[in-house]
Amino acid sequence: MMQRALLRRFTPTLRRSFSTVEETAKAGMTLNFSLPHETIYSGANVNQVIVPGAAGEYGVTADHVPLVAQLKPGVLQILHEGTSDAEKYFVAGGFSITHANSTTDISCPEAVKVDDIDSAAVTSAFEQAKAAFSAAEAGSLAAAEAQIDMEVNKSMAAAVGVSLA
Amino acid sequence: SEATANNASNSTNTNRTSETMSTPTTFWRLAGMSYTQYVTRAATAVRNGLKEPARTKAMQHEKFSYNASAWDAGKIGPKKPVQTLSEAGH
Repeated sequence: MMQRALLRRFTPTLRRSFSTVEETAKAGMTLNFSLPHETIYSGANVNQVIVPGAAGEYGVTADHVPLVAQLKPGVLQILHEGTSDAEKYFVAGGFSITHANSTTDISCPEAVKVDDIDSAAVTSAFEQAKAAFSAAEAGSLAAAEAQIDMEVNKSMAAAVGVSLA
Repeated sequence: SEATANNASNSTNTNRTSETMSTPTTFWRLAGMSYTQYVTRAATAVRNGLKEPARTKAMQHEKFSYNASAWDAGKIGPKKPVQTLSEAGH
């Protein structure tokens, strides 16, 4: 009887301290980041995500206002809890949807690690695309394709610190 | 007659994009590309700019194929691989 009364007095205190620990662990936001062939993150708890939106780059933390954004070819940065260096991916495009419950879904057709970008390949591809763009008829499909190649390669070069024009 | 004048399907314009969309604003839309075509091209450009071994691995994602099957009286026929969508009758 005595032991049970003691337990009842102590247990509520323990329960309260456990819940405080849980709250700080979930202080970040939830990230779902997937590609057609691979799920990179599913339900991951991260501090911040910096998204390359087509209308501009923006950062998402917990309790961000709901937002749907088309992505431009650019760098997606993921800041994990306890690290100052962001994990960087270069995304080809896609969409980012931030929900009211601090969950962000990012879906891209292709995403690569910035470390895997070959600056020489990107520079030569840009030059080739630039030549193709000049040679193509304005407003034609070939011109549009060359423009896509130019924009993506220019952005990839910028991600590895090479400035192309 | 009034009915035919308002009927969009009587037009000779085969570019369905401009029939259903408002004025296109992006360069790829103006050139006749869909978003899927645009983003697929961007994905290819990204894969081509990679170092080995990431490049070989990424090029696997480029591969795709089509299968077509014809419907007859509510039943689907056998699937056969096709090289292009035009082969499948589109």
